[in-house]
Amino acid sequence: METSFAITGKGYVLVAADTTAARSIVKMKTDEDKIKILSPHLLMAYSGEPGDTIQFSEYVERNIRLYQIRNTLTLGPSAAASWIRRSLADSIRSRRPYAVNLLVGGYDTSSHTPELYWIDYLGTLTKIPFGAHGYGSYFALSLLDRYHDPEASLEEGIATLKRCLDEVAKRLVVSPGKYLVKVVDKDGVREIEI
Amino acid sequence: MNSLAQRFSTTSPLAHFRKIQRLADEDEDVSDAAWGSQAGFGSLTKGVPTFTVPNLPDPTAFLRLHTDDHADPNCRIKIQHGTTTLAFRFQGGVIVAVDSRATAGSYVASGTVKKVIEINPYLLGTMAGGAADCQYWETYLGIHCRLHELRNRERISVSAASKYLSNLVYGYKGMGLSMGTMICGWDKTGPTIFYVDSDGTRLKGDLFSVGSGSTFAYGVLDQGYRWDLTDEEAQELGRRSIYAAGHRDAFSGNTCNLYHVKEDGWRFIGNFDISKMHYEGPGDVPGAPGGGYGYALRVEGKSSANPPVAEAAA
Amino acid sequence: MARRYDSRTTIFSPEGRLYQIEYAMEAISHAGTVLGVLAKDGVVLAAEKKVTGKLLDLSSTKEGGYGGSGEKIYLLNDNVIGGVAGLTADANSLVNYARTAAQRHLLTYNEDIPVELLAQRLCNLKQGYTQFGGLRPFGVSLLYAGYDPHYQFQLYHSDPSGNYSGWKATCIGANNGTAQSLLKQEYKDDIEVKDAIGLVLRTMSKTMDSTTLGSEKLEFAVLTLDETTKRPKAKIYKPSEIDALLASEGLMKKDEDTEMKAA
Repeated sequence: METSFAITGKGYVLVAADTTAARSIVKMKTDEDKIKILSPHLLMAYSGEPGDTIQFSEYVERNIRLYQIRNTLTLGPSAAASWIRRSLADSIRSRRPYAVNLLVGGYDTSSHTPELYWIDYLGTLTKIPFGAHGYGSYFALSLLDRYHDPEASLEEGIATLKRCLDEVAKRLVVSPGKYLVKVVDKDGVREIEI
Repeated sequence: MNSLAQRFSTTSPLAHFRKIQRLADEDEDVSDAAWGSQAGFGSLTKGVPTFTVPNLPDPTAFLRLHTDDHADPNCRIKIQHGTTTLAFRFQGGVIVAVDSRATAGSYVASGTVKKVIEINPYLLGTMAGGAADCQYWETYLGIHCRLHELRNRERISVSAASKYLSNLVYGYKGMGLSMGTMICGWDKTGPTIFYVDSDGTRLKGDLFSVGSGSTFAYGVLDQGYRWDLTDEEAQELGRRSIYAAGHRDAFSGNTCNLYHVKEDGWRFIGNFDISKMHYEGPGDVPGAPGGGYGYALRVEGKSSANPPVAEAAA
Repeated sequence: MARRYDSRTTIFSPEGRLYQIEYAMEAISHAGTVLGVLAKDGVVLAAEKKVTGKLLDLSSTKEGGYGGSGEKIYLLNDNVIGGVAGLTADANSLVNYARTAAQRHLLTYNEDIPVELLAQRLCNLKQGYTQFGGLRPFGVSLLYAGYDPHYQFQLYHSDPSGNYSGWKATCIGANNGTAQSLLKQEYKDDIEVKDAIGLVLRTMSKTMDSTTLGSEKLEFAVLTLDETTKRPKAKIYKPSEIDALLASEGLMKKDEDTEMKAA
């Protein structure tokens, strides 16, 4: 089952998403990247209805780029998340809404703060220190209530993230095999091996 | 799949009479003669076993009224609705911890439910699913555990007790029973836990959690669990895990009841208010870290902001 | 000759000019002066009021509201103060547009509109009136004193053609040439708000036609950062506050009546 996690730490946001693309009972692909890089300091993990996910994430990607080109300014994580939320809120009231759930992680270069937003297909937006989508959230949230540290170093953050992935691997019947992990901090976005 | 139930639900006078007759001497499903003889296979020697069913024309229809069949017609059983229970085995015995919330839909029907059933001084059963089913059948199990003791001059093993319950509920399979229980105790083999549910599943294990909040409890429990936990650490882990579920699961909460089973039987450790644990902690009890469990309290004053050193100084 | 190209804004003259735009700019250079100075820790804005008189009812400007008489200086958004020079009626329409644009930005992005973006929004509108037929351009120039996290404090100017530019200190309206050369002489980089206030008031007193400098002829506003919240704090002075400020700066030109009474 699709699962994504994200946690903030001292000066960074870690985002992890599983890499399976499934149709019915079949795994069609096992190395799918479901974390889109929206701008030099912005990441978005997406999950939900196949088709909608790609369409919507690309729509977001292109619009955020357009804002950059038009205004020379880059949208901050909070403004970008708010714009995305509004897009989904408009979408849910349309004839055929996007069914996409998101975790938007970014680094605000003006306040030097990592920010993380949880957004669902209904257009709910919340700013959070850690979060998850999918069945993994049932195991990870209580774990992170207990172990998450907002001032954790990247190594400590990765260790906490691993706890989540291990717990899901241990308890979830249809647990995903592989995860892709990306981090965003003052230096920008990069993929990391865990 | 209803053929079994159908057999008992005919409305003919004869069938009805038989049923009343059966109910009259209902104290046992299997006659006493079977016990202690025929190598324990007594029940098989009598041919078709008999079961007690609701005394109504259509027991399945009756039971459907009392399950949440309407929510999902494919799901005849309303297991794991609004509960968190857990039990784990470790070096110092067995820890049993449960919440105390009873819900009816979105309504909190009670916040002071006893979800640990004290079967006897050495056996505990936990309650998830239908409260009435668990209460009735686990008390019933207590009766048979006592009879076992009287007949055999020794306490029943956890394995045997759980097997008895498992067989019993399996007999009612498909008729609407709803239980998810852990039978915990200390016997000749040491600390033991069996998971038994109304599907007929019976599992031996070191660590279980049952109920709608079980996933949240597992998240904390699995990560903190070790065999060589001290008694205090183990009690704290049980309490902390129930808190996690009470906090994250809307159908669990209110308070946590904590038990510790050791060689000399179970001991009630205490009742802990989940809100209080969130804001103030469990109080002055062994293993408590001091301070509330709440995330906001734990990270108070901490910040993920990472300004350059010069700017932070200014 | 010019007549043939006057009546429509959309038509270039043979010399390549848009007369209506130039006339609009001309109208502005007769309007009340608006002066802005960008400081290290804030922006200061002052404006000369033209509509005055003993019989003008100013009771509503004395208290309540966010300050200002609503003639020259307006709060456009939490983070932007606007100063207008030109046709007041046109300015009202633009101020309304600016406020709406700022709120729309807030609605979609949940953040204050960046100052330059707000200037751009208005300039897009103004530009439209230089191009589409049968319409008169806005006879208004604006100063935008604002703050955003991208470029901190900023001061922009926009004119009826839809051009805009950023400034350290600038002036629009009557005598803007004199004021600007005064500012050029006196402005120092790294000026602080408290000094900028003095600079603005002194320049205003030298530029304005009237002999008296008092709250009945002056509007004044300062944009700074709130110490505790770190959010922009726009303060538009009330008449009594302006008089107090002028007194403390020693710039209160004494009214002849009061002078005589004092004597």
